[in-house]
Amino acid sequence: MLIASLLLTVAAAQAAANVEPGKQLFNGMCARCHGIDGTGDEGPSLNRPTLSRAATDEALREVIRDGIPDRGMPRVRRLTNNELNQLVAYVRSLGRVTATSTRGNADKGRATYEKLGCASCHIVGGQGGSFGPDLTQIGVNRGASYLRQSFLGPSETLPKGTSPVPGRGFTEYLPVRVVAADGHEVRGIRVNEDPFTIQVKDSANRFHSFRKSDTKEIEKEFGKSLMPSYRGRLSDAETEDLVAYLASLRGAK
Amino acid sequence: MKRMLIVLLALSTCILSAQVPAPRIASADRTPADWLTYSGNYQAHRFSPLAQITRQNVAQLKPAWIYQVRRTGIVETTPIVADGVMYITEPPSTVTALDVRTGRPLWTYTPTIPTDVIVIGSPPVNRGVAILDDMVYVGTVDGHLIALDTKSGAVRWDIQVDDNKFGYYVTSAPLALDGRIIIGVSGAEAGIRGFLDAYDPKTGKRVWRTHTIPGPGEPGHETWSGDSWKTGGGSAWLTGSYDPALNLVYWGTGNPGPDWNGDLRPGDNLYTCSLIAINPTDGKIKWHFQFTPHDIHDWDANEIPVLFDATVGGRPRKLVAMANRNAFYYVLDRETGEFLSATPYAKQTWAERIDAKGRPVRRAGTAPTVEGTLVFPNIQGASNWPSPSYSPQTRLFYQATREMGTYFYKGEPDYKPGEAFVAGGGRAVNGDDAWGAVRALDSTTGALKWEFKLVTPPMSGVLSTAGGLVFGGTDEGNFFALDAESGKPLWDTQLGGQVRSNPMAFSVDGRQYVAIAAGYALFVFGLP
Repeated sequence: MLIASLLLTVAAAQAAANVEPGKQLFNGMCARCHGIDGTGDEGPSLNRPTLSRAATDEALREVIRDGIPDRGMPRVRRLTNNELNQLVAYVRSLGRVTATSTRGNADKGRATYEKLGCASCHIVGGQGGSFGPDLTQIGVNRGASYLRQSFLGPSETLPKGTSPVPGRGFTEYLPVRVVAADGHEVRGIRVNEDPFTIQVKDSANRFHSFRKSDTKEIEKEFGKSLMPSYRGRLSDAETEDLVAYLASLRGAK
Repeated sequence: MKRMLIVLLALSTCILSAQVPAPRIASADRTPADWLTYSGNYQAHRFSPLAQITRQNVAQLKPAWIYQVRRTGIVETTPIVADGVMYITEPPSTVTALDVRTGRPLWTYTPTIPTDVIVIGSPPVNRGVAILDDMVYVGTVDGHLIALDTKSGAVRWDIQVDDNKFGYYVTSAPLALDGRIIIGVSGAEAGIRGFLDAYDPKTGKRVWRTHTIPGPGEPGHETWSGDSWKTGGGSAWLTGSYDPALNLVYWGTGNPGPDWNGDLRPGDNLYTCSLIAINPTDGKIKWHFQFTPHDIHDWDANEIPVLFDATVGGRPRKLVAMANRNAFYYVLDRETGEFLSATPYAKQTWAERIDAKGRPVRRAGTAPTVEGTLVFPNIQGASNWPSPSYSPQTRLFYQATREMGTYFYKGEPDYKPGEAFVAGGGRAVNGDDAWGAVRALDSTTGALKWEFKLVTPPMSGVLSTAGGLVFGGTDEGNFFALDAESGKPLWDTQLGGQVRSNPMAFSVDGRQYVAIAAGYALFVFGLP
């Protein structure tokens, strides 16, 4: 019993000593997507007591070690056991920080979501249009600051890791304008591309396929989004309520 | 009776005459119906003298047959074709003989690979077999070299190259010379000490072993400190080239271990990230040239050394060229190893310049850090194992080029036998910020002649042909043909899986075909 509690204390002391080097590793490899202090950005926030894909330390080690490639999280690099311990200790320490980023009212946010007509392009719980990304689990996958940015300045936060076409790493929902050989123009988002062909979905949600050699012009509008910006169109309270609603979308359970 | 005698005589001739003797490989360009060695000829040109498929008719190419591999996995094989039979490898180390007319299997051999096999540093792949006389030779992911009978797939001999428990394994095709099977080893990410071996083709007895990391008392050992040489890496994991007249084998060597933290191994770390010229008779290193001294970015020199002769500076010279993973195209004198030129062929941010001796002057602030340092080219390099091609017709060097950066991380070194010994890693800058191109370089200067852009960095090699064509592939599954003079696209098709292999060409019944592996299958195309 004494030995057991001694071991526990030793383990806790080791974990505490690991937090600082773990933070250094995290800021280098993880913060670009998960945010400084794990507050979330294009990757999910990690400053929560429970992580949906890493309920145990062992599961967390596996996620850090192997990544979740089909959800956009790469396996960044091979880590030693010591480095893994440091990262696990740091990520767990974030869960003890109280999340303060979503102070809005989710119910009010839902009303705003409906009023703005977001459902014309987004699915939540199986309902809505399919031109934009499915938001059913967006609260699990994205942090509050990213969610806020996604409707205030969507062109700065094009979705990542949501594409049903895996592996290419292309910019997703990239607006493109294609002028076909006969002069007709299609504007939409790029769905897929190779050196010889491009596949486009227009704003009416129709697929178009082009051979590049048959087109007059292909313009890729990097830095733009087909989603309207709501900057200046919402009050601060409405903004925070909408963030709270999006953050509450955690999948159909 | 007379007739029977003739049959018997024919039969005995068949038994006595070896199928593919070494002189036949040395003159491979004269028998272009076959593809007798990994890169098509000993000079590693990956050029087919076949000229039936041309700029004018290539748009009519159609699939002739498709072979699907028995077990899913990455297919990086270059087929060998000899006398109507195609020999391919399937993941991880299976050898299959196919009827070259139909793609129907004639035999297949799968070695028993232990379930706890250690493969660190690459996927468990195989890039092809070598053929010599009546045997085909394959290296395996558990570190064996196996000789199989060409007619039955029966094992003639099976030897352990080195102990897989320490991370030694084999992915590359062996190189078959007169009286020698040369094989290099993989495993630098497990902290091995790399080497190149030569075996007696008949018996599998080892003739020599030349370490790529010199031991105590050997020249170059002083470029290591303490015991760092024992885990110094320097694997030799891609098939080299051979000059029969000079009797020299040219072989690239891999990264030093650990990859991204050089603190434990101050010095140049010879002969890592180098080209070594070896006498295949005795295994002695005649000369070496190190592209990246004290590498800390994992830029192995395991690319194809391509041999050709040309006039440089008004003087005819025997040359060896390599489009190195570090983004420079190097031309050396292959008799002496003298450095002649280095020209960047892709974006690079790590070197200010290459000095008159061929040594890079590093740019400050490009070393890996705990926080990550963005450097071009990426970890997999501006090139990698996928083959370039040299056309004696155009005298151009064709290179599938990767334009990509990586955030390089420095980690802590932690050597345990048979485990990853890398001390860091990288996060690739991918998506639309990464792209690629098939580039045609002036073979003697590296100057860009033309490029054909690709939307992602390729892991497919290229083939040039006497029909004036360059064939290549993409990550998106395209297989395509370009005009070798201009780079203009002339034909393309979609194979439905990543092209991560090298094209080759052969002919049967007087008809030319091109073959390429993609996804989990091998595709053979011909004219209708």
